[in-house]
Parts: sequence; structure tokens; C-alpha cells
Amino acid sequence: MSHLAVADPEGAATMPAVRPDVVSLAKITKSFGPTLANAEIDLAVSSGDIIGLVGGNGAGKSTLMRILCGATSPTLGSISFAGQSVNFVDYDTAEAQRRGIRMVHQELSLCANLSVAENFFLETPGDAVNRPGWRALYRARARAALDAVFPANGIDVNAEVGHLSIAERQMVEIARAAATPGVKLIVLDEPTSSLDLDRSRQLRTFIRERARSGLAFIFISHKLQEIIDIATQVMVLRNGRAAWRGDAADTSIGRLVQLMGGDANSIHQHSAATQSSGETLVKLSGFLTAGLGHDIAIGRGEIIGLAGLEGSGQKELLHAIFEPDTARDAAVARSVDAGFIAGDRQKEGVFPLWSVLGNISIGSLARRPALGLVSERANRDTAADAAGRLRLDDKRFGSNILELSGGNQQKALVARALVADTPILLLDDPTRGVDIATKQDFYRLCNDIARGGRTLVWHTTEDAELLACDRVLVFSGGRIVKELSGEAITESAVVGASFAQQADAGVGSGHRASGVGLARRLVNAAPFIGLAAVLAVMISANPAVASIFGLDLLLMPALSLVLVTAAQMFIVGGSEIDLGVGAFAGLVSVLSATLLYDQPWLGALALAAAVAAYAGLGGLIQARKIPAIVVTLGASFIWMGLGYALQPTPGGASPEWLSAMFNWSLGFLPTSIILIAAVALVVFVIDRLPLGVVLRGFGNNPTAMIRSGWSPTRYALVRYLVAGLFAAAAGLSLTAINTASDINSGSSFTLLSVAAVVMGGCSLLGGVISPVGAIAGAVTLSLIGALLGTLNVSSDFNAATQGLVLIALLTLRSLTADRRSEQ
Amino acid sequence: MNGAAAFSLWAQKNRWVWSAIGVLVLWLVLSVVTNRFSLSSLSGIMLSASFLTVVGIGQMFVVTTGRGNIDLSVASVITLSAFVALLTIKGQDANLAIGVGAAILLGLAVGALNSLLVVGLNIPAIIATLATGYVLATATLLSNRAISGFAVSPLLKTLATGRVSGVPIMAVIAIAGVAVTAFVLRYTVFGQLLSAVGQNRTAARLAAIRNNRVIASAFIISSVLASLNGLLLGAYIGGAFLEMGQPYLLQSIAAVVLGGTLIFGGSASAVGTLFASILLILIVTTMQIVGLPPGAQDIVQGIVVIFVLALAGRQVLSRRAAVNGAGDADAVKPETGGIAIRPE
Repeated sequence: MSHLAVADPEGAATMPAVRPDVVSLAKITKSFGPTLANAEIDLAVSSGDIIGLVGGNGAGKSTLMRILCGATSPTLGSISFAGQSVNFVDYDTAEAQRRGIRMVHQELSLCANLSVAENFFLETPGDAVNRPGWRALYRARARAALDAVFPANGIDVNAEVGHLSIAERQMVEIARAAATPGVKLIVLDEPTSSLDLDRSRQLRTFIRERARSGLAFIFISHKLQEIIDIATQVMVLRNGRAAWRGDAADTSIGRLVQLMGGDANSIHQHSAATQSSGETLVKLSGFLTAGLGHDIAIGRGEIIGLAGLEGSGQKELLHAIFEPDTARDAAVARSVDAGFIAGDRQKEGVFPLWSVLGNISIGSLARRPALGLVSERANRDTAADAAGRLRLDDKRFGSNILELSGGNQQKALVARALVADTPILLLDDPTRGVDIATKQDFYRLCNDIARGGRTLVWHTTEDAELLACDRVLVFSGGRIVKELSGEAITESAVVGASFAQQADAGVGSGHRASGVGLARRLVNAAPFIGLAAVLAVMISANPAVASIFGLDLLLMPALSLVLVTAAQMFIVGGSEIDLGVGAFAGLVSVLSATLLYDQPWLGALALAAAVAAYAGLGGLIQARKIPAIVVTLGASFIWMGLGYALQPTPGGASPEWLSAMFNWSLGFLPTSIILIAAVALVVFVIDRLPLGVVLRGFGNNPTAMIRSGWSPTRYALVRYLVAGLFAAAAGLSLTAINTASDINSGSSFTLLSVAAVVMGGCSLLGGVISPVGAIAGAVTLSLIGALLGTLNVSSDFNAATQGLVLIALLTLRSLTADRRSEQ
Repeated sequence: MNGAAAFSLWAQKNRWVWSAIGVLVLWLVLSVVTNRFSLSSLSGIMLSASFLTVVGIGQMFVVTTGRGNIDLSVASVITLSAFVALLTIKGQDANLAIGVGAAILLGLAVGALNSLLVVGLNIPAIIATLATGYVLATATLLSNRAISGFAVSPLLKTLATGRVSGVPIMAVIAIAGVAVTAFVLRYTVFGQLLSAVGQNRTAARLAAIRNNRVIASAFIISSVLASLNGLLLGAYIGGAFLEMGQPYLLQSIAAVVLGGTLIFGGSASAVGTLFASILLILIVTTMQIVGLPPGAQDIVQGIVVIFVLALAGRQVLSRRAAVNGAGDADAVKPETGGIAIRPE
């Protein structure tokens, strides 16, 4: 990826009479199996265009944009830049970026663990240099870019992105794309979804300004008034086709809503014969219905639709009904069993290893006693009944679920809910990406089910489907803002209610409980408190410990663990764990005390080969996507085996120069403390350099890194190389300190290093490097043995103490952690 | 479709067959190359493999729960259990019931602790079981000091070392265990729930499966089996020593992976674990026969694990690609053959 700032778009902006063509897509068709995502769509973007792209969910917007940005190749069609045609075979995300196309994704692609300025660096790394102060350039760039788009934004460019509100993150992402040198077209996917009115207005002003100077924009939004306001042209997609394209001036919100409208095919109107029998199955109250002024009771035989803009709380309600909060004052209460039909089939629905039959029968199995017997025949009979109602051919029962089309997979999921036979069915947008015939089968079934006395709660993103419901609850900003029933349910009423309340749905983020924050700070300070406490106890028991000699005696053995911890920290930073790092240090120790001592050249070569093998392991783990834990555990046997083969019994000798490296004294400071501080400093420096930033970025959000053009395999290699060097240093220190080697000498370090890293505050999910904390943790852990000795506790308790410290810390972390990352 | 293609299709669903073939080939090669190999040496290998199989089956349950779950505490449980057996049984058959009870209790306790950490506190399984292992290591050291002598109950000794018409009793126990496990996995509700949880945890939850219970039982099964194995292994070697469980850590994982159980969870093969255990022991034996030093044996085992994983990784990759492709299709609405604009 190159970021040559050849032509500053501002400078080139002389607004010629005929605006130059930036990119044009012609007759784009994309099919996924039997379904057409895009059908013969033409889209030409000229410099200075602001194209509003609208359409319902699944209309084909995202597919079209993925094709434009090189993330997907179309089945048919062509792309050309300024009249020059480009073959799709050669067109990928990197090429799109080279040609000046940038996309701001809806699910933000920033690394939350990096600062705002560092995220700017990830996008344009070419200007970074490996020396202190390299961030200054990106700080200035970030500042300027943010202020250009959002004046008076008050965002600190040194702040970690994770500490910013969602709105602020969105602002950073937009500013980052806009500031890229050489950019010609920016695609904004729902850019204002979490911006308040003022920021949204600032963004639109900025877009207008830059468009005047020749930059082109594609603006995707569900907020139609914004589209009307900002766009020069509007393109409406519907069912994969361009339903309309024209000047924004020629259209209106009403017209756009109509163009996007639901399926023309009629949806069976639910015959309101079996109305609620008075019995309440689900009760909604509290904050959910605060805007309505009355509680909502859902009875038997009803079809309840959940509507509103996507992400306004409909899904949350479904999940809350499925697993109601047990608190007495919970907003959702349910009196009978509920079954769930997921619409996101891949993530929440299918069991990919199983046949269709297995996927259906699990619905009834889940509700049976665990030791009950499973009979294929009984399963088949039950499933065949459900499948028959859905017109799912039972000849396909034996096929793997993934071999079925989306529509038939969905039928299998519905069948799963049918065999579970629950009085309530929760539907999470089940007709998404499903062909029309399946939809018709599905609508018919819904009517049957409801007539049979069961209750359906149906979240749909297709407004036309709401016509089949008895009642519709319209959501906005996480609450129910309108209840429609019977004849009052019309598409325009639903759309009206969901848009009308948009202004109220402000930015709801950035609330943090301060009590939890304090607890978390305490946990983070644990290694330092622990170290201080351990040292205090030991010094009070034996004042000689506080002497330079005493400290050296105590801390020198900790140095090796400190080095191994540094190695482990880089691996954990990539959200992996190395179970072979201690053995590797042991092997290096053996190599240095034998080969390196006897034949320095051969020894040096062997050491280099060992480190290279270690780095290669990292590349293998990434390239083959295999679990690092098992691979490194396997590798630990290789390291140990090599060590044994070289040196069956402890022995060898330390090369003189090596001993000398660890055997000097400044007199006024213990050598061990200087060395440990030096390790911390080296880790700190690596982490602060551009390389460290990239490594942390990968630990936090690999998808975003790949989107910005970074190679995951190369950086896995680099990560393991850095770790390997630290582990090798640990091995050398072992030899120097023990003046001999033993292949087992490093083994205990593996687990201790993980503990130290966790103590130091590094998340096992990756992305955090905290040299000082982890090293304090390592020193504390290695002192535990000495501490127990001082307290006259048998050294047998060493391991248990270490284990309990680890468990206690992880428990505390788990209890004080954000609940965001769950599930 | 010719025979080879049919076999490869069948083998895709029955991944245990590869380890079985491995056993057969290695066995034939050994028989031909060395004259020392006989049926009785096979029964010796079966005996060693039986101990590995018992731990491997437990490990398999944990691996099948998915998300990279592995029980790293099995090694410590084996060692501690062997010491506990010495302490409780004291070489008397009369105390055998107490000893077995203690072993089961130990397994239950460790399994419950692991489950609490993994399921209750959301600590990654590797770290949680690692930490448990630490605590157990100290318990082992303490019991090591407490034991008075290495006496083994004769009955237990018979179980662990005895043969009935040339077949080791231990092998019968292991094979029976494998049969029961295979039945549980295939024909009981629990087996199906376990597979579901391992394949797709969210989907399992939404299908009303109580994921936590399933995962917790896997950890408990693993610890109980490791504990019982420690009891028998102690009887086999006629005592107990520190670190005696250590080799079973990697070998149990290797047996699981080699046997065709998916490391990413969701699919287990008890028979595969049995054959893979035999294969691993055969490999070690071969290396001993060839005269490789102990270090080289470790190296070969490590390479086998990494190699098999690297190969298996590709299968999962292609499957994942298929899932993603289908996912793309889902993101879009289908063709309905025209744009219908409704009149105002």
C-alpha cells in the first residue's frame, strides 16, 4: 500500500465545467448461489459528486460497496477509473486504496487500544520513523483532520480510542478517511448513526466543502432527511436492483420511503380471529414502556411485530424475553417457555458440522434430560412432521446443513423451534436473505402457528412483514415509542414512528460506574502493592536483605523470569499464549553452555537457528490458524528433547564473556535492579515504536489491521521473533547466573510468566503491553519462594501460593471487568 | 465414484480411521523389520496405551466444548491421585473402596473447581486449569511427605497389571470405557448437547441448551477420569513419584487431536482417541527399539502434534471459508424478478 500524496485534492480543485470521472461501475451483477445480490447496477461517480445511497436491509448496498472497494469481486460487470478499465482479477482492497477509494465502515475499524494519533498512523504508516517523537507528526495530522471536519470537537489525540464515546470514535474514523493523502472518493456507511445533530451538521458542511473542491462521496444512511439534505444525487436500491436514480432535488422523504418499500407480493394478513384469550404470557413494563405510558401484555395466539430502525432495541427485547432477568422489577417477565429462531444463521443458528436432521432435532433434545437416549427414528419422525409443515423436503435430512440454500437453512431453524414445541416463539428477522417462495411458506406457517394458540414475537427489518402482525411495537433508542394495532398498522405509520423519534435517540454511551473503576485501578496496582508488601515483610524479618548484596542475591534469579515474562507478554499481546517459552529458554541455556562454550561460531549459529525456528512457529500458527497453545505445547517437547539430546545431565559451563555481562557492579546500585530496569526499558521502547503499535493493533483488532493493509502472517512472525529474542536472552541469563545449564531450568518459567503477565494487567484477549506491571509481577512471583522461607513456611507451598495468587487476581479481574466482551 | 473417492468421503466423516491405519502400518513395519515383535509385545503396548486412553477420553470431553478449551490440570491430578491412593489404601484390599471413593472425590473436587473458574468466572480454560495444577502440585508435595511406604493393594495391582488369557485387564477396562464413551457421544442427549455447544455456543444457547452445565460436566469428567487413571497408574508402577503425570499432559492432547477430535470443538471420536493412544505408544516404543535417546523421543512427539494440527488446520479453514461464503449470501435479499413500485 502506498500513500503517495501526489495530488492534493484541494489544489487540484478548479471545478472544470465537465467534472472528471472518478470511478464507474457498469452492469454489476453479483450472485450468491441462486440469489442475486446485485443485478445490473450502473454507478458512475464524478469528482465532486455526493451520492446518497439508500435501500432496505439486504437491498444490495453493502455488496455493491464491497465490490467498489475491492473486498468482493462481482459475477459480471466492469469497473473503470477515469475511463480506464481495470480487470476485477487485479482489483483488491489495496488497489482500491491506491486509486484513492476509502471506506468508513459501519462497524468501526479502529484499534480501541491505540491512541487516536496511532490509529492515524495505521492508515498512513509510510511517514513514520523509528525514533522518539515519531508520533508528533501523526498527532498534528490527527488534530488538523479532526478540526477540519468537526470544529471544536475536544477529542484528545493522545487518548486511547477505547476511552472515547461511540460518537467520538465515529468522528475519528471519518476524519481519518478524509485526511488520507490522495483520496478521491470516500464511502460513508451510516456515518451519522451515533452522531448528534450538531456533529452531523458539521459533517455535512464538511462534505459539501470538500465536494466543491472535487472530492467525491457516497453517503449511505437510513436517515432520509440527511440524504435529501446532503446528496446531489440519490440512488435507491431494492432487491439488488437500482430502483431509481436522480437528482436529490427531484425527490422527497415520502417518495424515497415508497421507492425502498416492502415486497409487492402480498403478505397474508393474520386473520384476527383468535385474539388474546386474556392470559398474559409476556409482560413488558418499566423503562421499556415508559414512553407509552402503559404496560404491554402479550397474550396467547398473538403475532407481535417489533419494528423501528435497525439496532433500536428490538433484538435486545427478544433476548430479554428468551432469558428474562430474574430480578423482581425487571422490565420483561415471561410465564411460559419460549423458543428462539435466529435470523443470523451462521453466527446464531446453524451447527455447521451436523446434518439437517441433527440441526432440527437438537430443538427437542435441549429440553430433555441429559442421559436420555437419542433415537434417530424418533428424531426423524418428529422432524418430518415439522419439515412437512414448512415444505422442507425430508430427503435432504441427511445433507450437511451448509449444503442447503439460505432459505432452506432457515426452514431447518424454524423446524428446530417447532419440534421444541414452546408456547412462545421469538423470531429474529428470520426472512433475511431468504427467497420469496420460502417467505410465503413462512408467512403461512406463522398464521397456522398463531391460530394454533401460540404466540409469536417477530422482529423484522422488512416493514411490509409487519402487516401480518396483530400488534406492532415501534422501537427507538432502546424503548418502545409506539404501539400500533389492527388497521392502524401501515408501512407509513411504522416508518413515521421510527423516524419521528430519531432526534431523541441521542448518543447513549460513555457511562461508567465509578465504583467498579476504583476496584479496577486497585487490581491494576496489585503487582506493585504485592511487590512492596513482599519486600517489606522480608526486610523487616531480615534487615540484611535491604543491602546491595542482599538485594542482588534475591533479585538476580528473578532476572531470567523477567525476561521470559517479557517474551510471554508480546505473545499474550497478540491474544495467544506460549506454553513452550520456558522450555525454549532452557534450550538456549543448554546451547550456550555447551555448543557456544566449545565452538562459539557453531553455537552462535545454533542460537540463531533456534530463534528463527521459534519465529517460524508463530508464522505457522497464523498461516494455518491453529491454536497457539497446543502448538507451543508441542514445541515445548521439541525444545526439551533437543536439550536432553545435547546435554542429558546438567553441566556445561558459561562462556566468560557471558558471565561478565551479568557479573559487574556499579557499587551503589544492585546490578540486578539495573538489569531488570533495562529489560523494562527495552520492552517499553519496542512497544512505543511504530512496530510495537502495529503489534498491539493486531492484538486488538486484526480485521481493522487487515483492512488498513497490514499482513497478519508477517507480523505474527515478527511478534514471535521479538518474543524469541527475549526468551533467548532469558536462556543466556540462566547460563550466566547458574554458570552451568540444565534443560529443566526454564520449565517453571512458562506458567509463572503467564501469571506475571496477567498480574501486570495485560488482557488475555490481547492488545495490552504493560512492561512495568508485568515485570513487577514477575519479580513478586519469583520472590514468593524466598518470602515463604522467611516466614518459615515449607517451600512445598510455593506452587500453591503462586497458583492461588493467579486465581485470585483473575477472579478479581473477572469481577471488575467490563461486561461488554461477554458472549 | 471409484473406491478411493468413496473411501475418502467416508474417512472425512470417520476421522478415527487415520490413526487406526497408522497403528496398522507401524505395527506391520515393526513386525517385518524386527523379529522381536510379537503378539505379546502388542499386549504390552496395549497396556501402556490403556492408561493414556483413559486420560485422553477425559481430555477429549473438554476439547469438544470448543473455544480452545484444554484441561492442563490432568497431569497434576494423576500424580496427586496416585499419592492419595497410597495414603488411603495403604496396601490393603479392605481399604480399596475408600481409595476409589477418594479418587473419585478428588476428581469431582478438581473438576468442580475448574468449572467454577471457567464457567463461573469466565477465566480462559488454559489459565484456570494451569492455576489449579499449581495448587495440586503443592498438595502432591505435601502428600509425598506424608506417605509411609509404597504398598499397593493386591486387587488393584491385579487390575492394573494383570492379564486374562494374555489380554491385559487394564486394556479391557480402557476399551470398555471407550465403548461407553462412544455410546454416550452418539446415542445420548448429553453427547448431542456437548457437540452442539462445541460447534456454536450462541446457537446452542438460543436452542435452550444450558451451556454452562454441559461445559462444567466436561471438566468434571476429565478430572474424574484423570484421577481414576492416577489410582491405576500408581498401582501399575507400584507406588507414586512426583511428576509421574507429566508425560500425560501433551500425550493426552496429542491422542485427542490425532484421533480425529476437532481441536476447535464440536466433534469427538472416542475410538479415534483409543487408536491414537496406541499409535503414540507405538511411536515411543519404536523409538526405543531403534535406540533413539529419550530427548529424540520428545522431539518426535512434538513434531507429530504440530504436524497433525497443521494438517487439520487446513480442513477447518476450508470449512470456515464455506461458512463465510454462505454468510455473504445471507447478507442480501434475493432476486424477485423486478422492481415493483406501489402506486401512491
